[in-house]
Amino acid sequence: MQADVQPLTAEQVGAHTHHAVPRAPQPYTNPYLAGFGLGLVLLASFVIMGRGLGASGAFSSLVAFGADAVAPEHTRANAFYAEYLGDHTRHPLMDWLVFEVVGVFAGGFLSGILAGRVRMGIERGPSTTNRMRLMYAFAGGGLMGIGAKLARGCTSGQAMTGGALLNVGSWAFMMCVFAGAYAVAYFVRRQWQ
Amino acid sequence: MNAPFFKFGLFGDNVSLIVAFLIGIGFGFFLERAGFGSARKLTAQFYLTDLTVFKVMFTAIITAMLGLFYLGWMGLVDLSLVYLTPTHLVPQIVGGFLLGAGFVVGGYCPGTACVAASTGKMDALINLLGIILGIVVFGELFPWVEGFYYATPMGQVTLPQLLNLSYGLVVFLVALMAIGAFAGATWVEKRMAARKGGQPS
Amino acid sequence: MKLSLARLTATQKSGLAVALLGLVAAFAGSPYRGPVYTVDAQELARVVETTVDHVTAEDVADWIIQGRTDFRLIDLRTEGEFAEYHIPGAERVPLTALAGYGLQKNETIVIYSDGGIHSAQAWFLLTTQGYKGATMLFGGLEAWKDNVLFPRPAENPTPAQSVQFAKMKEVSKFFGGTPQMDSTAAVTAPSFTMPKLETPQGGAAARGTSPVKKKKEGC
Repeated sequence: MQADVQPLTAEQVGAHTHHAVPRAPQPYTNPYLAGFGLGLVLLASFVIMGRGLGASGAFSSLVAFGADAVAPEHTRANAFYAEYLGDHTRHPLMDWLVFEVVGVFAGGFLSGILAGRVRMGIERGPSTTNRMRLMYAFAGGGLMGIGAKLARGCTSGQAMTGGALLNVGSWAFMMCVFAGAYAVAYFVRRQWQ
Repeated sequence: MNAPFFKFGLFGDNVSLIVAFLIGIGFGFFLERAGFGSARKLTAQFYLTDLTVFKVMFTAIITAMLGLFYLGWMGLVDLSLVYLTPTHLVPQIVGGFLLGAGFVVGGYCPGTACVAASTGKMDALINLLGIILGIVVFGELFPWVEGFYYATPMGQVTLPQLLNLSYGLVVFLVALMAIGAFAGATWVEKRMAARKGGQPS
Repeated sequence: MKLSLARLTATQKSGLAVALLGLVAAFAGSPYRGPVYTVDAQELARVVETTVDHVTAEDVADWIIQGRTDFRLIDLRTEGEFAEYHIPGAERVPLTALAGYGLQKNETIVIYSDGGIHSAQAWFLLTTQGYKGATMLFGGLEAWKDNVLFPRPAENPTPAQSVQFAKMKEVSKFFGGTPQMDSTAAVTAPSFTMPKLETPQGGAAARGTSPVKKKKEGC
């Protein structure tokens, strides 16, 4: 059976209530309101920690930790991994971003539970298959991993954080993210529509 | 007020990890609130049917930017202590294009992939695995990429510094641009919805 | 066209508020003001008395041998003096450049000069600006020479002192110094030659990797 997860609108909820779901999916929050909340979280990070948010960096620490466990000599000789391993006085996973990303999982889950949007499944457009979707998801992730490392961050760390700080590199990055996405969108439209 | 608190030694590294976790909860919470646990909602941005990504991102930027400006101006926050990632223009441009392409192909960005995975989306989990592989590939190729990685360094530079305008003026211009863009986004969404409604399905 | 405020939606009102905030910002001035620091004389005096404001040369030697990167070593002397000899890993920063050098307010900073006067003044400057981790090298470079590079045994050493001296002999060799056998050797004897500025043997160099600072603030 295909697991085709689509966020339901309030009207659709009424039509689907005979499916016994624990809680009906709620409509999304007003984007400006959600953005305002996000902005306050970012501001809090600036004020409390003197730094912004991030996501990709946590995965870099994870990779460095894994690589160190599997092949320590090779990893420590690599200048990229070494930056995430540090001087070994501290475990590489005892890292600010790692803990932050764990929080992101927790916060996302919390909001999802409250809104009735937690459901196992694979999200895709109606014209593609699960298998294609997963392949695209993996490939897209690979591109993002490389892109995020080159750019020293992703949309959370560079675009949002750097954007708020008026960082030149971050604004350039942000514009290129949108440009790159729009440029490629036409070629993968079948996946979504 | 001695802020940023951490930079003034108000608490140590271990407490900062707890702070990280709490801030992360807020981050993930609002991302999911906006609907970013859904790849289709996220990618709709790039088909101009649902511009929530733009609205949320820029509202967050404007909020934090204005908040930080005024807190700094009031002397409550030492703005010079807030970390600014050094700019390496060309790698960041190339990285941006790659990330954007990966975003629309994979359906998520790293942060939203976490949120989607936490609400049960398997494709988000696969996306995260892809990100991890991408980082491994980058790490392994690093000795050859290192030169490019460090190309065109500009140091820690802000738009006011680059454009030689006052910080407040740039804040104003960004705010104006965002408001204009929000109005534009609403118009685009209405147009796309009307066009879709007028077409036979 | 009359625009009635009441007829605007919540979103539009927020947009107007943002525009106004931005407009005020354009004329407001620089946000880089930062807090004004008050000097608590009593607190400073207490810090001095409890000697938490300095670290010994032996401690710093230990940290360097361990390959720790969680502290910064600041040399206040001139370029010539620095080029002739400096403690491995030290960064040369003249007093006038200290404030703008980019030191973190919560990291450990060890300041040294030849003796103690300049480092004490630098310590005061940094501490009153909110640098919580500023410390001085007790006795400055002179103490480094005396205790680390050219250690001397005590007159009639107790067992504890003998153990300590044995350790300092090894430490001294690590930094390219020469342990003295004679407890009465004068420190300022011209026969002392300062060790060459090479990477210390053993420790990080032997491992083949230099201690790398953990990437703390990127994303």
